[in-house]
Parts: sequence; C-alpha cells; structure tokens
Amino acid sequence: MTPGTSRRRDPVLLSFPAAMGFLLLLAVPLAVFLAYSFMTAGLFTVSPPFTFDAYARALGYGLNGILALNSIVIGLLAAAATVVLALPVAYWLRYCAGRWQMPCLFIITGSMFASYLVRIYAWRTILGTRGVFNQGLEALGVIDEPVGFLLYNRFSVTLALVHIFLPYVVLVLFAGFRPLAPAFLESAQDLGANAWQRWRRVILPVMAAPAATSFLFVFILSAADYVTPQLIGGTSGQMLGVQVQANFKAVGDWPQGAAISILMLLAFVACYGVTLLGLRLRRLDRIRWVN
Amino acid sequence: MESTLRSPFSGAITIASLVFLIAPLAVVVLFSFHETASLAFPFTGFSLRWYRAVFASPSFLNATLNSLIVASVSAIATLVLGVMAAFGLSRSSSALRGPLALLFFLPITLPGLFLGLALLVFFSRIALKLSLVTVTLGHIVYVFPYFLLIAKAALDRMDSALEDVAADLGASPWQVFWRVTLPQIRPVVIGATSLAFALSFDEFVITFFVIGSQSTLPLYIWSSMRRTIDPSINTISTLLMLVTLVMFAVAFALTIRKDGMRAEVGR
Repeated sequence: MTPGTSRRRDPVLLSFPAAMGFLLLLAVPLAVFLAYSFMTAGLFTVSPPFTFDAYARALGYGLNGILALNSIVIGLLAAAATVVLALPVAYWLRYCAGRWQMPCLFIITGSMFASYLVRIYAWRTILGTRGVFNQGLEALGVIDEPVGFLLYNRFSVTLALVHIFLPYVVLVLFAGFRPLAPAFLESAQDLGANAWQRWRRVILPVMAAPAATSFLFVFILSAADYVTPQLIGGTSGQMLGVQVQANFKAVGDWPQGAAISILMLLAFVACYGVTLLGLRLRRLDRIRWVN
Repeated sequence: MESTLRSPFSGAITIASLVFLIAPLAVVVLFSFHETASLAFPFTGFSLRWYRAVFASPSFLNATLNSLIVASVSAIATLVLGVMAAFGLSRSSSALRGPLALLFFLPITLPGLFLGLALLVFFSRIALKLSLVTVTLGHIVYVFPYFLLIAKAALDRMDSALEDVAADLGASPWQVFWRVTLPQIRPVVIGATSLAFALSFDEFVITFFVIGSQSTLPLYIWSSMRRTIDPSINTISTLLMLVTLVMFAVAFALTIRKDGMRAEVGR
C-alpha cells in the first residue's frame, strides 16, 4: 500500500465509543458485583470490610445445595433433550428438506421470536388441571379426572426450557452442517456405509463441536434461569437462580446473592473450559470440510 | 441437483418439533379471541372482547408506550454505535481487535440474570435512580452483540477493494463510508436494527432488575401472570408476539435474501 492510499487514522478508533460504553456498563458493573460478594450487608447499605462471610453463608445454607442440584439436573435434561431433538431436525433441513427448507427455517426462526414469558404462560395454560392437555386425555378416556402432575415441577420447567432453546439450537446445528456437503454423505452411502456408520464416521466428527457448544449454552442458560422455575416450577422445580433473585429482591442479602452468582459463574466457566479441552483433545474443534 | 439422501425418521422428528414449537403459541393466539373467560376447549366462539378490554386499560397502554420508547432508543443507539464498531473491527488490523471482540460479545454468553444483577448493583452504587433510562442502558448492552455480529459479518463479506478505489480517486474517509460502504450494507443494517428493536421490546430478564417503579409490556405480562389467570394475558401475549414477529420478518427479509440463511440470526 502506498502512503497515498493508507488511511491516516486506524479505523479501530471507531469502535472506541462502544468500547467505552461496554467498559462502563459491563466490565465495571461486573467488577462491582464481584466486590459485593466480599462485602457485608448492613441496613440499606453494603460496605467493606472484605470477607468470605457471604460465601460461607451461601455454602452453609442447606437449601442452596438442593436448589443447585435441581439446577444441574434440569439444565442437563433440558440441554440433552434440546440437542437430541435438534440434531435430526437440522440434518433433515440441511439434506432432505428440498423446497420445504426455507418455510421450515422461517417457522423455526419465527418461533424463536415468540416472547420468553409468553412461552412459559402457554405451557402453564396447556399443562394446567383445566388445560388443553388434561381435557384431551379426558376426552380420549385415558383419565377420569384432571391430573396435576404435569405442571409445577421439574418436568414442566424442563419442557418450557426445551421449547425456548430448541429453535436456537436447530439454527446453530443447521449452520454446523454447512461445511459437510451432501456429496460426502452420498459417497459414504454409495460406498456401503449404513446409517449408523454415516452418523458415527462422517457426521459426528463435523458436528461434535457445534453439538457440544449448543449443549453447553442450553445448560448454562437453563441452569441460570430464574423466571421459568418461579412461574411453573412449583416446589420441586425450584432452581438456584430464584434464590439469587430473592436475595436481591425480597431478602435483601445482596452479598450472599452476589456470592452465589459468582460461584455459579465459576462453575459455568469450568464447564466451558472442560468442553473446549475435550474437543481439543479429540481434535474435533477445527474441522472444516470444504464444499 | 436433487439429493439422494432420505431420512423418514429425521423428517418425522422435524414435523413433531414444528408442532411442539407452534402448537402452544397457537393455543395462546386462539384463546385471545375466545368469547368467554374460559381457557379450555370446547372453543365456543370468536370475539374481540379481550382486545377491547386490553386497549381500554391505561396501565397496558402505558406499558406499551414505555416498551416502544425503550426499544426505539435502544435500537437507534445500537445502530449508531454498532455500525461504527463493526466498521472499526472489520477494517482495522489492530491488535486491539481481539480484546474488543471479547468485550463486545461477552453479553451473549453471560446469562441475563448476572447482567441484570451487575447493573442493579452498579446503578445503586453510583446512586443512579432506576428508571426507563437504566432499562435502556441495560438493553443496549444486551442487544449490541447481536447487531455487531450481523453488521460485522456483512462488512467482512463485502469487497473492500471498492473502498480503496474510492479513496485512491480522492474521496475522503467520510465520503467513502457514505457513498461506497453504507449503500452496500444498508439492508443488513436495517435488518439488524429491527432485530435489536425486537430483542429489546421483548426483554424481561434484565429489565426486571433495573426498572424501578415503571412498567414495560413484558413486565406487565409478568405481573398479570403472578396475580391471576386472566384471559387478557392471551391478548397481550398475542400483541407482543405480533410486534416482535413483524420486526423479525423485516430483519429476516433484509438480512437473509441476499446471503442465504445465516447462523447470525441466532441468539
């Protein structure tokens, strides 16, 4: 590049206004949040000295352990169900859908934009004792009176979370299939690989990374949810996020809420690290087959 | 070329998944038109009574107005800051790009609960009163990464040789941007702005912590859900979905048409 065509100022300067905003409204708040987890709550104030008291309270409170376990179980169930459902859907859309591909993608992406709260509300309406599901079963004669076990438990929370995250994961996995041209699968088929061998030897190496990261994201976002369990979790489907929210809204023990949050974040970072490490060890993290 | 790949099993799962995704939402829309307060079948008849009731409610109209204001301001601020940042990241070879991208994309991986709480703690520490202003600030941080992802991808795909040509021919950097760069990415930028609007209009998780005494549409739904089983929640939900879907359709049409389906549309 000759001096005449080189720009006088580095264009990266243009991203500085947004960067300043993000430092002020993201980095600093997160740092203050971290500091709060070491502070002490007084009457209407939170102040030093810096101690580990809030962590001791968070870890010593028995209910937190139960809620953490619930969060892990619900997060794992939701993540597993979402990825297991999304894989065949993304596969079909990529290789078999033909002219149905765009309409299906439009429906899936559109459903992604249905409000988070509306989805929870919809499941509450459907699964309730006077809901559509119970009525259907009664009409079919399967049950004589409405069953209450559909709603306000782990099952209903998991179901709503799968409903919320399925569209995102289908789109991510659909994009993940892109480097794998149909010709690769057709060749494998022509050379005598059966369906299982095609999944195991051709698809899995390409899809391991997108599937694992999708699993991770659904797990993290589900395990940290505080709205779904609060609205349709009943007593058995409560999660740690609800407790954190209560520490800030109702109880007023901000340091303990911050301490639980920091512990959750550390756990999530650990999950993230383990996933990346696992993919790297199996050399599945940078496969890029060309079309 | 027609593919020889067939998978009836995957096809069946796809149909089941589409039904699973759509049916619950369809039930909500259907019962928003129900003539009675019943939320159960048999569906006895259509009526607009819940729509009339909702539009006669001052608190609903107030919450809607608040949501429109917050989403508009968030989307416009994101548009200006986002186009600048995307251009900066895409056209520079600075070593700062890595750290900047890390900072900008952090909110995508951070659960909303923690972003909301961190902002609540920060605003209380600097004694900034919670209001629609704090909500808007939170929404900008939340929607910005999605906008940046789409705008930056469009700039990266664009042939920047045209910009060099314009600069060689004596155009100022400002002229290059307005006359060469922007016209090429305009549809994508409008689409990404609609997406930012839709995400902000529907945001609840962060809003809940930083709103103070006012209300937005998702907050209004939340408090209605906590109070009672009120058939007008169906109506409000339907209206909320309608707004976000229209904005999404705009975004979809503008960002997808030229580029084929892109993963950037995702969260």
